[in-house]
Amino acid sequence: MAFTLYALLQAALLFVNAIAVLHEERFLRNVGWGTEQGIGGFGEEPGIKAQLMNLIRSVRTVMRGKMKSTV
Amino acid sequence: GDVAAAGSQGPVRGARSERPARESARAGGPQLIVIPTHKAPRGWARAEPAMAYHQGYGGQGSKHRGRGPLVPPAPDPHQLFDDTSAGFPHAQGTPGSGIDMGFNTLLADPMANVAVAYGSSIASQGKDIVHKEIHRFMSVNRLKYFFAVDTAYVTKKLALLLFPYAHQNWEVRYSRDTPLTPRQDINAPDLYIPSMAFITYILLAGIALGLQQRFSPEVLGMCASTAFVWVVIEVLALLLSLYLVTVQSDLTAFDLLAYSGYKYVGMILAVLGGLLFGSDGYYVALAWTSCALMYFLARSLRMKLHPSLVPDGMGHPRGAGRGQTYVTLGAAACQPLIVYWLTFHLVR
Repeated sequence: MAFTLYALLQAALLFVNAIAVLHEERFLRNVGWGTEQGIGGFGEEPGIKAQLMNLIRSVRTVMRGKMKSTV
Repeated sequence: GDVAAAGSQGPVRGARSERPARESARAGGPQLIVIPTHKAPRGWARAEPAMAYHQGYGGQGSKHRGRGPLVPPAPDPHQLFDDTSAGFPHAQGTPGSGIDMGFNTLLADPMANVAVAYGSSIASQGKDIVHKEIHRFMSVNRLKYFFAVDTAYVTKKLALLLFPYAHQNWEVRYSRDTPLTPRQDINAPDLYIPSMAFITYILLAGIALGLQQRFSPEVLGMCASTAFVWVVIEVLALLLSLYLVTVQSDLTAFDLLAYSGYKYVGMILAVLGGLLFGSDGYYVALAWTSCALMYFLARSLRMKLHPSLVPDGMGHPRGAGRGQTYVTLGAAACQPLIVYWLTFHLVR
């Protein structure tokens, strides 16, 4: 498979965009990946699922930029 | 200075003489160095270099040198061409002649001196700005750490990459909280070997393709970017997985880049085996380097990630340790796949 750097950039952009459009209320809560119920314990070990949810939330926050969205 | 007596071979002195020397070397003519006469009066210095030019070379020389203000119209038996610039004091001609014409006047003109000083200060300001911008993206000191290698380290590390089974102590030694440079510690990762191996791999891929009559210059660029992109993808995947298992280690992105870049050495050997011994040689070399790489990476990453071996001695719950083991094994297992993917099309 011949990759160019531009292809990598495109792929990364599409991937991040895919993460950014996952809607908190309409979708993630139904699946059980909402962040409100996930970050319960403050133990030493958050676990992979909590880390993933955190990651999705932070990507969404960064990608949405200056919009005043709470999610 | 007496230019006529200096003859045709003399030491080069002064900046002005570099240009005619370069011109003569480029033109393939006889090697002739001209010694400028800084002490001569400004205007008259133009014509004198023309005298020293050799027979077959006088045309270019006098055309190059003849332009200038206040050229004396005195007839010169050695000058092959008439100097026609006497009536054109402002003829600039080629930018080269304009520049070196101005260069000599620079030393005498205070205004130009001020301009030169201003220009050089602007240049240094630009350089500072560039340094600052680069420093925002990556720390140059951190990068310098990875290139502090020497020959003994490189040879030992290459031997280690190809036969890691005999090595006992895999720990990266520290000295007062900073890891030792690769010169002092063989276990330290470096970026010199990966970058050199990357370039060697590209050249070897060109040779391999050329031997199969499949070569064209675009292929080389595509091969280079493909290999680089795969390593970047692997580094990103490693970073992501390390973030997900919440490991506390001092593995930076550059460390991971170094560890991922070591596979280029394996790739080079696999392609060489394929070129020298055909398809069987390729598979044998691939198997050998894959096993060596997997073992090397597993031991190195385990040493860096495993919490109980960190000098701080902080205890850590068992669950995270399991995740780290998975990450290590997964990273090691990906190596032969990528090596195979990047090299099999070269040794059909």
